[in-house]
Amino acid sequence: MTTMTQEQAVPAARRIHLARQTLVFALLLALFAVAFTVSLCVGRFSVPAGRALELLWQAISDPSRELAGIDERIVILVRAPRVVLAALAGAGLAISGAGLQGVFRNPLVSPDILGISQGAAFGGALAIMLGIWGFPLIAMVFLCGMAAVILVGLLSRINGRSETVTVILSGLVISSMFAAVVSLLQFIADPNTSLPAIVYWLMGSFATATWERTLVAAPGLILGSCFLWMLRFRLNILSLEEAEARSLGANTTRERWLVFCLIAVIVGSQVAVSGIIGWIGIVIPHAARLLVGHDHRALLPAAAVLGAGFMVCIDTLARTATAAEIPLGVITALVGAPIFAALLRHHYRERKGS
Amino acid sequence: MVPLSLLISTASRRRAAAALAAMLFAPAAFAEEIVFKDQGNREVRLAKAAERVVSIVIPMASTVIALDGGTRKLVGMNPTAKSAVVEGILGKIFPEAKDIPSDVTAPNFVPNVEALTAANPDLVIQWGDRGADIVAPITNAGLTTMLILYGTEELTREYMTMASKAIGKPERIGELVEWRDRVQKEIEAKATAIPDDKKPNVLYLGRALSDISASGTKGSYNAWSIELAGGKNASAELNGTVSVNKEQIAQWNPDVIFLNAFEAKLNVDWVYSDPILSLTNAAKSKRVYKMPLGGYRWDPPNQESPLSWMWTANLLHPEIFQYDLRAEMKTAYRTLYNYDLTDGDIDNILWLKDQGAAAGYAQFAAK
Repeated sequence: MTTMTQEQAVPAARRIHLARQTLVFALLLALFAVAFTVSLCVGRFSVPAGRALELLWQAISDPSRELAGIDERIVILVRAPRVVLAALAGAGLAISGAGLQGVFRNPLVSPDILGISQGAAFGGALAIMLGIWGFPLIAMVFLCGMAAVILVGLLSRINGRSETVTVILSGLVISSMFAAVVSLLQFIADPNTSLPAIVYWLMGSFATATWERTLVAAPGLILGSCFLWMLRFRLNILSLEEAEARSLGANTTRERWLVFCLIAVIVGSQVAVSGIIGWIGIVIPHAARLLVGHDHRALLPAAAVLGAGFMVCIDTLARTATAAEIPLGVITALVGAPIFAALLRHHYRERKGS
Repeated sequence: MVPLSLLISTASRRRAAAALAAMLFAPAAFAEEIVFKDQGNREVRLAKAAERVVSIVIPMASTVIALDGGTRKLVGMNPTAKSAVVEGILGKIFPEAKDIPSDVTAPNFVPNVEALTAANPDLVIQWGDRGADIVAPITNAGLTTMLILYGTEELTREYMTMASKAIGKPERIGELVEWRDRVQKEIEAKATAIPDDKKPNVLYLGRALSDISASGTKGSYNAWSIELAGGKNASAELNGTVSVNKEQIAQWNPDVIFLNAFEAKLNVDWVYSDPILSLTNAAKSKRVYKMPLGGYRWDPPNQESPLSWMWTANLLHPEIFQYDLRAEMKTAYRTLYNYDLTDGDIDNILWLKDQGAAAGYAQFAAK
């Protein structure tokens, strides 16, 4: 009898868990859809919400249609790529954060730890100093971000292996070095032109989003995230203790570096088109973990949807609150830091309780 | 025995001679000393007219050249000022200006005291409103410093006057200030008669390429000169100089767009090839102009400001203002730099090659 009850109880608990997760995902997706739609309808240029949706529908149903009116161009060429790019970047940053926190078994880790952001920042600042704009700038940012990860890899590799601690320390070293060079570039930049541009770029913004830029960043963001999702089982194993992971047959060093490279692709693509955006990669995975738990199979998609929605909301605020564009980094920090503090307190109170 | 009277008389004669000498030479000695109060409200004291001047402030380098009528006295400048010399016409008028050291300061106005001291300046011109940290190293090195404030026409005239006094050319400033005053009053007199609904909405973009920045009216010299020439600042609602997005520009829908002269790679095509900006009134009516780069960039206040106002006024209200800008430029350049502008020079300063087809720009073409 007892065995029977246990057998029935396990699927019942699982069913409740699944139902809860389905509900959470449905809610997250609904919230994202609302944020996405509202974001397309609001902006500094007044386009009635109904008209904005109508224009969007027309553009989807007849993509070859010529965009004549200014309201049409603003909704289709300015807002839509911006919202899509913000959503992709938010999803990418959140999923990267979740992946890294798993690999490092440390909830305080964010994608910045590998030096990608600072490396990419160096590329961007240098490009702005040299008067390079557009795609060459994007390419430079991306390459410098990747170079930073490669340097971290080389530096942390001792006797053919790289331990978690050496990776974190190497990331810190490379990050600091690039940060120093960025400071140097700021020091010698022209205070009338390149300096404000560099400072603004370092604070992050989707203001320059176009479909071309979105298409440039999308492959890295989408493919990187998808590959990370494919590694969800591996991430579950990597988030175990080193010895335990090895006993399960994982080549931890190789797999960890695979994750790092994917994250470099995601973050490099994001920084290249929108500058450095902090906090998303650290706050969102925490929030997602509270909603769906630690299992990367659920955590990664939840973080992605939540990150996308959050980023879209933040960007909408940045571009509509005042006539001046508020840099994203300012809002993500202002909103992200208190949320993070609240989540941390909640997390530790729960742990203490359990 | 020498008569007492003779002794007295010799002594008094000596005294009289000394007094006479004092009367004759002392005023000359005093006249050499130059004392004035700078815009940081400090007393600047120079034993004699400054022979070696360093300008850490960017536009003042070209102003010192203009006030002196040559490059002899300028012994150091900001790297950004030097780029304007190299890119603009000053480098052509005064090729030796390209050799003036620019290692005396970082572009962000933090002085390199050792390089500065090595330049051995009698006077260092520095900003007075950007904190004591960029001033103290200069005064601590024992160098005489003149602090200036940025922003308005009054301040500009005041610091130009101070500089001319400091370099011992007080006679130069009279005609320059008189010129500024005359042109300003002329434009004002005509512009005040323009009804508000006839004033175009003018947007000046201080930066465009990496992010777009515009300014509110308060404290903006560009907004002031737009209003002087009978325009309205399209971005008046802003607070200070801040980043804006294209959607916001579409909402303002300016009638005229001025692009800054700071970004070398920026030209009017940037507006015309943009899907949103190309639909603004300014782009549709071809009223997009990049600010000229003459002896200095025409956007901030400088020695050539009246030319900049005339250029603006002619473009905003061609029916009211018909300055013969080319002739005015030739006269001004002769006065400022003792240089005869060629037609090619003027075309380059006004970017005629790039924006000759803009509305109203044909008036600036050589006749």
